[in-house]
Amino acid sequence: MNINIGLSDILLISPMIALFLASLLPITTKVLRGNREQHSLITLSQALIGIVVAVVLLVVFGGADKTAFNNGLIFDGVTQWMGIISLAAAGAAMVMMYENPATKGKQFSELIFLAMSSAIGMLILVSAVDLLMVFIGLEMMSLALYLMIAMSHEEKLSKEAALKYFVLGSFASALFLYGVAFIFGSTGGTNILSFMDNAAELVQTSRLFLFGVTFVILGFCFKVSIAPFHAWTPDVYQGAPTPHSAFMATAVKTVSFAAFLRIIATKSLTGSDHLFDILQWLAVITMIVGNTAAILQNNFKRMIAYSSVAHSGYLLVGIITAGVSDNGAFGASGVIFYLLAYGLMTLGAFAVASMIEKSENHIVNVDDLAGFAKQRPMLALCLTVFLLSLAGIPPTLGFFGKFYLFNAAIGEGLLWLAVWGVLNSVIGVYYYLRPIVVMYMKDGEAEIAGHSLNATTVTAVVMAVAIILMGFVSGPIFSAVEKSLL
Amino acid sequence: MILSSIVFLPLLFALLIAIWPKANTIRHLALGLSLIEFLVSLSIFKHFDASATGLQLVEKFMWIERFGIQYFMGIDGISLWLVLLTTFLTPIIILASWTSITERIKGFHVCMFILQTAMLGTFLAMDAIFFYVFWELSLVPMYFMVGIWGGARRIYATVKFFIYTMAGSVLMLVAIIYMMYLTQEATGQMSASLLDFYKLQIPFVGGTFFSLQTLLFFAFALAFAIKVPAFPVHTWLPDAHVEAPTPGSVILAGVMLKMGTYGFMRWVIPLFPEASEYWAWLFMLIGTVGIIYGALVAMVQPDVKKLVAYSSVSHMGYILLGLFAFNAYGMGGGLYQMLNHGISTGALFILIGMIYERTHSREISKYGGLAGVLPIFTIFFFIITLSSIAVPMTNGFVGEFFILLGTYQANPVFAYFAVSGVVLGAVYMLWMFKRVFFGEQGELVKDEHHPLHDLNAREIAVLVPMVIMVFWMGLFPNHFLNYSKASIDYLVNNRSNYNLTIVQPGAVDVTHAQGEN
Repeated sequence: MNINIGLSDILLISPMIALFLASLLPITTKVLRGNREQHSLITLSQALIGIVVAVVLLVVFGGADKTAFNNGLIFDGVTQWMGIISLAAAGAAMVMMYENPATKGKQFSELIFLAMSSAIGMLILVSAVDLLMVFIGLEMMSLALYLMIAMSHEEKLSKEAALKYFVLGSFASALFLYGVAFIFGSTGGTNILSFMDNAAELVQTSRLFLFGVTFVILGFCFKVSIAPFHAWTPDVYQGAPTPHSAFMATAVKTVSFAAFLRIIATKSLTGSDHLFDILQWLAVITMIVGNTAAILQNNFKRMIAYSSVAHSGYLLVGIITAGVSDNGAFGASGVIFYLLAYGLMTLGAFAVASMIEKSENHIVNVDDLAGFAKQRPMLALCLTVFLLSLAGIPPTLGFFGKFYLFNAAIGEGLLWLAVWGVLNSVIGVYYYLRPIVVMYMKDGEAEIAGHSLNATTVTAVVMAVAIILMGFVSGPIFSAVEKSLL
Repeated sequence: MILSSIVFLPLLFALLIAIWPKANTIRHLALGLSLIEFLVSLSIFKHFDASATGLQLVEKFMWIERFGIQYFMGIDGISLWLVLLTTFLTPIIILASWTSITERIKGFHVCMFILQTAMLGTFLAMDAIFFYVFWELSLVPMYFMVGIWGGARRIYATVKFFIYTMAGSVLMLVAIIYMMYLTQEATGQMSASLLDFYKLQIPFVGGTFFSLQTLLFFAFALAFAIKVPAFPVHTWLPDAHVEAPTPGSVILAGVMLKMGTYGFMRWVIPLFPEASEYWAWLFMLIGTVGIIYGALVAMVQPDVKKLVAYSSVSHMGYILLGLFAFNAYGMGGGLYQMLNHGISTGALFILIGMIYERTHSREISKYGGLAGVLPIFTIFFFIITLSSIAVPMTNGFVGEFFILLGTYQANPVFAYFAVSGVVLGAVYMLWMFKRVFFGEQGELVKDEHHPLHDLNAREIAVLVPMVIMVFWMGLFPNHFLNYSKASIDYLVNNRSNYNLTIVQPGAVDVTHAQGEN
């Protein structure tokens, strides 16, 4: 086997190289300075510059369905959009890490190194079309993340979260690999492109292949927390430092859905009615479980965690739509647009939570937010925007996300999934309104951090404004996404 | 640009108030701005052609091309008066809230103006998604209004209000999206424009629930019935009304409930003619039950505000009855009754707010003999009571009379039962009036530590426009109905094949010229 690496391959992976170089800067400086931490702001800016450069390189060199490394990686619209969304989310989460009490200060260079490595894994994941490449991306992203969570200054919950995430994450990876082995056994290859055209046929003729695809999909279901594989999500999101929860809920979820889309794009669903039915039911169950469980939560981060489970259910509706429709671009762009909206509002909600935290051990409860609107009117208003957007109230971005997603589903004849989706968003309204009720309508003195976290505040405000304004121009954005996927 | 400025000026005002630095002048500023808004809305008359049946002053731009969603506003005889009702009530509400809203004044007025934008947009939007955005947006400021400035059980009431209304409208969203696909099938181009929806021929099969038109019909009707609120889904209303602050109750009763009945007139009946015809009995039944049930429940309320809230259920039942009579009397009366109810129930809530500010109680049993202590207040209350029970010469009479006439033509049985509501209405209102204003002085009235003061100049200024409207609308209904007549006749006569056209500004002159030739 001879391996040729041409210039075009290097150019295509240049975003990852840029991220890698940027990730090395802070940690190398620290070593050279005799294990003394440089100022966190410098570390942060090095990372952010790396991310910006990576985004630019991704836009400039990616696109137009170019493949690299012997069809191992593909750079198409999905790669670009999902890559940009996840990198931006990662950048915003790093800004939060810079100021959150559980992550700032000591070992910040190591943390940023790990976060950047995780981001490299993400880029591999969004561009991978070879299942083994997918696995490499998945593991690179996840391993860095386990360490990041365990590094938290908080002593107990974060360690539990890291271990739980590690065990269940490895389990999911094992499921995934198991599926890949079956696919390799039945088709003789692991590259999605190689069985892309006849997957719909293969699932009917080959039990082994169906088995493999099912396990691969289940592996992703773990990663994106589809019920009943969601049990780790609330514990991990709660135990991890808030910026990391934001990182996982947005960036990691985005890229996992990107890889999910790649598998689904083989049209295996059109061949197997069983698989199709199962996924539909999983979507319905996920929405119901996420929303009803969120109602019972008082811990703010846990509530958002369950809400993120529910949103995975909505997204799965989009994934199914993309998987069965002749024009997969419509469903897929619905998913991408929803992830953009979801990323903004979830990051925002976590950013506000991060600003409330007084110390690394502070637990933010919804009931403790009484009086928050009087103490921090600006932040309370931002949180209100995020929550209303999560609930899908127009004219926020969240409403348009749901609109495009369910529009595609209805167009594909999946009316009942859309009906389940909208009914669930009504359940969602109940718990999204609760923090607003407590903040604005109950008197009290909220226990919040006295200091102001400037960069995080700016991030939150920018996101709130973006959620409102992007709602009005959602049409052109959606069309741009869809056009790039055709 | 008139309609756009009417809809979006309040939003601009909300921003202005949000950044206004001086807390003590916010009320004056808000009052002035809302009066400007009212004057701007009056300028519609300059361009409005009462004889045209189509949409006027249309503004139409592509908003989301991929799905044919437009920025599309237009006005006709049906929405004209609802728009004016909204802009007319807002300054009154702001003036009425002068002393009752004492904290977070800035937030209150910002909510008020955002709400005004949302309500006006709901009445003027002619694109389904554009309409839906305003429809849902109106929940948010109302939610805050009840939740922040409301009474003791405000949180329960406001969350119930929000979830009830939202639950109704999400199915409408699914139905809207479905109809967008139907337009794509019919014309090849997806569109959310209401005018394109009107052109659809949606298959209807009688006798079964599971026919396409019936399902779409109920998806829309549920959303609007909850908003109205029609009988079995009315339970959010008494809670919301009782817990809302006075301005919230006024805007809720005065305008927001009309969004539901307007929805029936604009969307449900013309879009699904066969299904509405087939299920008309159900909605007439709901309306009639609502009339009688609302009146009976109102009769036994110990709380005067709750009494008025249930009287709303009763009055809204009339409107529903009138609309589903499908004739010019019923529809015209229904539209007229929407305005009447906005004026008279709005005024009742303002009056109750005024007495509540003085005594901090709404228990009927604690009052009595108020007429001797507060004569001016009593006179105003009496006039509005008469209007509410539809005594001739007041506005209520015209509306109820038309509705009953129309109902009798359509289905006499419902008219027989609905008439009893007129009697029951008189019973609960007059009985309440007797217990509050006459008889022995109640504990609150003779309380010597807190002597009651009669209405001051500001409060009289709030009530006088309402009373003028009561008599104006009662004595000269044609001043108002003439503007709506063409649209309503057109809707009644072309119900099964409804098609709104866009009236071009110059078009009227052309027909005149042809007539002369």
